Amino acid sequence: MSPRRATLPAESLAQGARLAARDLTLTVGRRTLIAGLQLEFSPGQIWCIAGPNGAGKTTLISTLAGLQPPTQGVVELDGLCLSGWPGSALALRRALMPQAVRDAFSASVFEAVLLGRHPYLAGWGWEQPSDRAAALDALAALGLSELAARDILSLSGGERQRVALAAVLCQQAPLMLLDEPLAHLDLHHQIDCLKLLVQRAAAGCTVIFSCHDLNLARRYASHALLLDGAGVTNAGLVREVLSAANASRAFGYPLMLIESAGHEALVPAH
Amino acid sequence: MSERQVPYSAGTRPGPQDAVRGMTARRACLIWLALAGLAWADLVHALFRPDGGLDDEIVRSLRLPRAGAGFACGALLSLSGALLQVLLRNPLADPYVLGVSGGAASFALAAMMFMLPWWGVDASAFAGALLAVLFVLGMARREFWRSDPVEASPRLLLTGVVLGTGWMALISLLLTLAPDRGLRGMLFWLSGDLNGAADAWPGLLVLGVVLVPSILAAPQLNVMLRGETVAHALGVPVGPLRLRIYLLASLATAAAVVTAGTIGFVGLVVPHMLRISFGNDQRMLLPASALGGGALVMLADLAARTVVAPAQLPVGVITAITGVPVFLWMLLRRRH
Repeated sequence: MSPRRATLPAESLAQGARLAARDLTLTVGRRTLIAGLQLEFSPGQIWCIAGPNGAGKTTLISTLAGLQPPTQGVVELDGLCLSGWPGSALALRRALMPQAVRDAFSASVFEAVLLGRHPYLAGWGWEQPSDRAAALDALAALGLSELAARDILSLSGGERQRVALAAVLCQQAPLMLLDEPLAHLDLHHQIDCLKLLVQRAAAGCTVIFSCHDLNLARRYASHALLLDGAGVTNAGLVREVLSAANASRAFGYPLMLIESAGHEALVPAH
Repeated sequence: MSERQVPYSAGTRPGPQDAVRGMTARRACLIWLALAGLAWADLVHALFRPDGGLDDEIVRSLRLPRAGAGFACGALLSLSGALLQVLLRNPLADPYVLGVSGGAASFALAAMMFMLPWWGVDASAFAGALLAVLFVLGMARREFWRSDPVEASPRLLLTGVVLGTGWMALISLLLTLAPDRGLRGMLFWLSGDLNGAADAWPGLLVLGVVLVPSILAAPQLNVMLRGETVAHALGVPVGPLRLRIYLLASLATAAAVVTAGTIGFVGLVVPHMLRISFGNDQRMLLPASALGGGALVMLADLAARTVVAPAQLPVGVITAITGVPVFLWMLLRRRH
């Protein structure tokens, strides 16, 4: 059963979460995806993990979330190795939005979002009014209030994605890991989602997300981690890492940076 | 909090307000009370109707144990079905899907072929159920212990279904080889029959043993329904929970099958009927399934005893014949 009730205030998070990868190596079969990564993710930062298909973005996110052990090295949260965290305590500190959720049974959107409060349940496991308030706030933040009573099985891909995001939001964890949160979203929802992440970071969250749109990442993320799928990683401030040269090398296609009216964009060079 | 109004979008049918509030403890209690009332009414009916005044002795030594055993079986099957539907994340799962009943039935029929007394048949059925559980555990052990966020349900389901098919072949073989005079008893056993149920206590005891840990795990099962990665991320120990649910569901099925043979339909459909009516919150659904399944089987047994009296029908036939149209009506009436 869940441990004692620890209520975090919705806006100001008591303590930022410091996540660190120490000498992290990830392999799949014989392929080395990431070799000896040393990196710290600090509160207030928004990290974009970019790289070509199969470069290990999902594997890295799920390792950083503590769902699978690294091949070598450790991931530390607040100075403590992830494998040393009890699952229920960890769920109060980090939230994970997986890439796709397949649903077999009906549930209302509200119920699906309310599940994000599971780490806070105590006693017989019934939600308190504060949990319901958190879920309604999360729905409102994503413009989903009108869908609260809808069946999740009847949602479109983009709506489903926003519901998953709302569930992660109402978990109110200071570390947020999101695997492709922008997938299936149309442009204005992508921007709303990114603005929301910026807001969470400003409130003291550490945000890490994977993303295919380098230009949106350059605009909204503060830092980036570029994977090339062969073990080489490049981490740092977003505009330095996602440069035309680095991106061209990682994606194996020539890209160039164009500038217009103070905005920059990476576009294919041919 | 509850004053906050959530508007409905145009075009979607306004669901009940409860869909927005979710399940609450108070609402769950009301549902349980209603179902317990139904079970109580069944019990009173089973004991005193339709013969009117009845000898106290018959009520005490025959009707009451039979009604109790019927309730226990229905409750166990329905609870087991609800648990397996969550475990396998599959609406088609029923208590027999992973082959527990196949093992129990094969061994029970073999015991009947050798003309063992009733307790020998029961013991043999239980041994068969246990063996079937061990088979599944042995073959699918990796699915129970793995900690990485891989969807394990399809493999587990497939393992169970294939083993179940093997048991079914064995049952057919036994029926082919059995002497004619034993066949009738075997067929009754296979379709579920409360005639041989002499004692209610074993079933009710197992019901208690299974129901309490299931209720305690209910909040975690709600999370499991959204997939194993989500459950893992929300701090649910997925592997141990999966193993626990499998063992609880197997114990429930084994106890029900040993008591009354393989009563079909209840375990698949009662949880769905309750889901359609009240939603899929396991904290409400698991106890409600137990109460609803118990009430349904008691009612069906009453019909089985009286419809063609003095002859008796297998209770499993009654549950299916009356339940199928009711369920189809409920399913097709509500379209989201």
